Amino acid sequence: MADDFDNPRDVELSSLSAIYPEIQNPDPHDPYTIALDVPVNPSQAVTVFFPAASDDASPPGASGAGTAGPREQGPVDSHELAHLPSIHLEISLGPRYPVAEPPQITISANPPWLPAETVKRLEEDAPRLWQEMGCDMVGFTYIDHVQQAADDVFGLVSDKGALEVDPKHKIAILDYDIKARRAAFEKGTFGCEICLEPKKGSVCHRMLDCAHVFCVACLQDFYNNAIKEGDIAAVRCLAPNCAKERGKAMSPGRKRKKPRTFINPSELLQIPLDQEVVKRYVTLKYKTELESDKNTIYCPRPWCNGAARSKKHRKPQGLELAEASDDSASEEDDDEDHAEGETKSKPYKPAEDLLAICEECSFAFCSRCTQSWHGEFVRCTPRREKGELTTEELASLEYMKMHTTPCPTCAAPAQKTHGCNHMICYRCQSHFCYLCSAWLDPGNPYQHFNEAPDGRVTGCYMRLWELEMGDGDDVGYGFAGGAGGQVAAHAVPPAAGALPQELIPEIIEPEEEEEAQDARHAAAAQPHEPQADGGQVGIAREGPLVLRIAAHQAAGAGRGGPRARAGAAAPGAVRGGARAARNNQAVGRGGGPQQQAGRGAGGGAQRGGQRGRGGRGGGPPHRQNANNPANPAERAQRRNANNNGRNQEQAGGPAAAAVDPDDPGDGELDPVHEAWVRHFVQLALNDEEDILLEEDSDDDDGDLQAYGRWA
Amino acid sequence: MSSQKRIAKELVECTASPPTGITVSLPNDSDVHKWHVVLDGPEGTAYAGGRFGLVVSLPIEYPFKAPAVTFATRIYHPNVTNDSLGSICLGLLKSENWKPSTRLLSVLEAVRNLLAEPQPDDPLEARIADEYRRDRREFDKNARSYVARYAKGPVKFDAPRGEPAAGEREGNGGDGGGASGGRA
Repeated sequence: MADDFDNPRDVELSSLSAIYPEIQNPDPHDPYTIALDVPVNPSQAVTVFFPAASDDASPPGASGAGTAGPREQGPVDSHELAHLPSIHLEISLGPRYPVAEPPQITISANPPWLPAETVKRLEEDAPRLWQEMGCDMVGFTYIDHVQQAADDVFGLVSDKGALEVDPKHKIAILDYDIKARRAAFEKGTFGCEICLEPKKGSVCHRMLDCAHVFCVACLQDFYNNAIKEGDIAAVRCLAPNCAKERGKAMSPGRKRKKPRTFINPSELLQIPLDQEVVKRYVTLKYKTELESDKNTIYCPRPWCNGAARSKKHRKPQGLELAEASDDSASEEDDDEDHAEGETKSKPYKPAEDLLAICEECSFAFCSRCTQSWHGEFVRCTPRREKGELTTEELASLEYMKMHTTPCPTCAAPAQKTHGCNHMICYRCQSHFCYLCSAWLDPGNPYQHFNEAPDGRVTGCYMRLWELEMGDGDDVGYGFAGGAGGQVAAHAVPPAAGALPQELIPEIIEPEEEEEAQDARHAAAAQPHEPQADGGQVGIAREGPLVLRIAAHQAAGAGRGGPRARAGAAAPGAVRGGARAARNNQAVGRGGGPQQQAGRGAGGGAQRGGQRGRGGRGGGPPHRQNANNPANPAERAQRRNANNNGRNQEQAGGPAAAAVDPDDPGDGELDPVHEAWVRHFVQLALNDEEDILLEEDSDDDDGDLQAYGRWA
Repeated sequence: MSSQKRIAKELVECTASPPTGITVSLPNDSDVHKWHVVLDGPEGTAYAGGRFGLVVSLPIEYPFKAPAVTFATRIYHPNVTNDSLGSICLGLLKSENWKPSTRLLSVLEAVRNLLAEPQPDDPLEARIADEYRRDRREFDKNARSYVARYAKGPVKFDAPRGEPAAGEREGNGGDGGGASGGRA
């Protein structure tokens, strides 16, 4: 049969080269020897072990390592590989092939990672197959056989799914894998989900941690921008669901051990981002970390202000991080730090807590008195810094007290510019409540503002949207004040009329707030003269209390006001309470010694539009009252406030009424006042305040009228 | 520049094969940063039969910054402010959650989904959420009466509001929460 053709070997070779066009002919003088590279791309990535280097002592003649499985307990180096170096196959068809002679097979690999016995077995497969076929042309069958064997790495993968390879081939094998992956990646086309363009793999980047693919241009744009803006938290994978899954794992404390969402600097360099940008990223990250730690001590040298060395946060070595691959950077840092620790802090062990060494300028100082290090036996006291503050600093501190809420985790002050009261710390990503600074569960932060499953409510119940237009008058955008009013007012439709009045002062004199604020401070401070400092702090700190009072009011109103339309009226009453607290504040300010009649009130209106909180305000006397009835200064303050006239009484009414049921023993309210309060609550609950206003509005300008309507 | 290109692509995506109940148009052909969307109330809900106007404002930094979406038509819904602002509380629009690879199509679908399934546990209007949970009949009645009052007839987008501040940044405080920005 074979004789029908010129030569069966020619026939076979021509059909083989048709099937495998990559077949080569290594020896031009021997047309019957062909060579073929069989790629080894296991269908499932294989874990490849590189036993510790001590194994190098094994006989070098054994080209490759044994397959004996994990015989090593020592440190094992393992990698997930999808591509192994291909197998070089040489098939030589002798003159008597195929009838009387099997093909001669030579198998090799570069590097020779394939164990000798495997090579031998593969080579012996050829005669066996040839015989099974009845001594016929076996070329295709054999090549196919080798290819299939390559799919499971020639059965070399142990039961545990691992392949052991001599460590001396490690670099070559890993290199091959990386190159092969890269080549496969670059050949592909990916739809970048950011610019929505199909992009060649060569201009794309696959995220190392989650394997999402984006085009390099988009990633550069985004990350450069985020790093420039200092929004370090945004430097993460940009796929929508990626963050969610990883976010779940993210703890508020942001431990490094947790699966991280941020991107390693080395990956940023790979994208590639500019080294300068990556450096900034590393620095900012370090800084953020330091700032999130309340215990960080800073260098007392005014020109330095570096952080003291600490075990927890290590200063990144900019370039080192850039050069080092992945995790090794931090490890290297570790070592370095230990070395330093040995030379410097050991001798002072007993005083370790006191001695601080600046990371930047290596200044050694005492962390208690911030003087240069005086040895551990010197008694020192913390330096008082109060007196050293300039008025400007004091003013900004004061402003921060009034218009910011500290993060419960890192104490970073946050000022809300708009939106709801669920905040996320820009520094440590803690979720917290803007009203009371409570830590909120990232999983369900809104619980705090809603009713708990067991029916309990916090002081911030239903107050998610208070202060929606921001805290302070210089925040937010546009003429947000009006809108803020609207939001608060929509429950009481007639309030619409209040808006223009409220807007006017803000439009005309934006800077007026400063003065109004000053006036308010003064008003707050004045009655406290004997203990001005502590008192003010007390006021500032009590913000949440007013909130609680306001929330109580709902309950209080339900209890005390039988005529209240029970269910429906309660939420309205809460709003009323908040608004009343605000009123209170406005009046307290207006009544201060630096009162500038219209202006004080105008400022009040202006603030009222944006501030639902009231608690931070200068003088909400009733709240103070409820909290600490025995404080004479506050009593005085309240009286002072009361003297401002009935209008104000009326404004403060609901808050006081809310307090009453909870504090029946409080003898501070004189009966007349109390009667007023009760009367007002009733009116408020019955939506009758308009009538009341008409009687009363004659002794002040229209701003309070606006308030009255809201309340 | 790339922002315009992407928006154009998304616009094509939304107009060429519009998803059920969502119609997108540009109020001003030369400005792709402002979309007017008409949302049909999903069948089988209290909003069925209503046509709701949505204003989508894309910041200049889009898609790096989240779009702002507000209801131009008043709607009685636990997750939409019950006022002329129509702010929406939608997790994927919050600045800290926004991912540049989120598409407007999925944003709009998420909004429509919100009509089908209000999220009373994450409310903007606690009172309405409360009602939704406790007295669905009353809620449906109110929602329908809002539909009858506001969401019938031609959709108006020019609710009294100013220009939304595109691409607002918060200086300091992290996220203000809910419907991020876009209101005036």
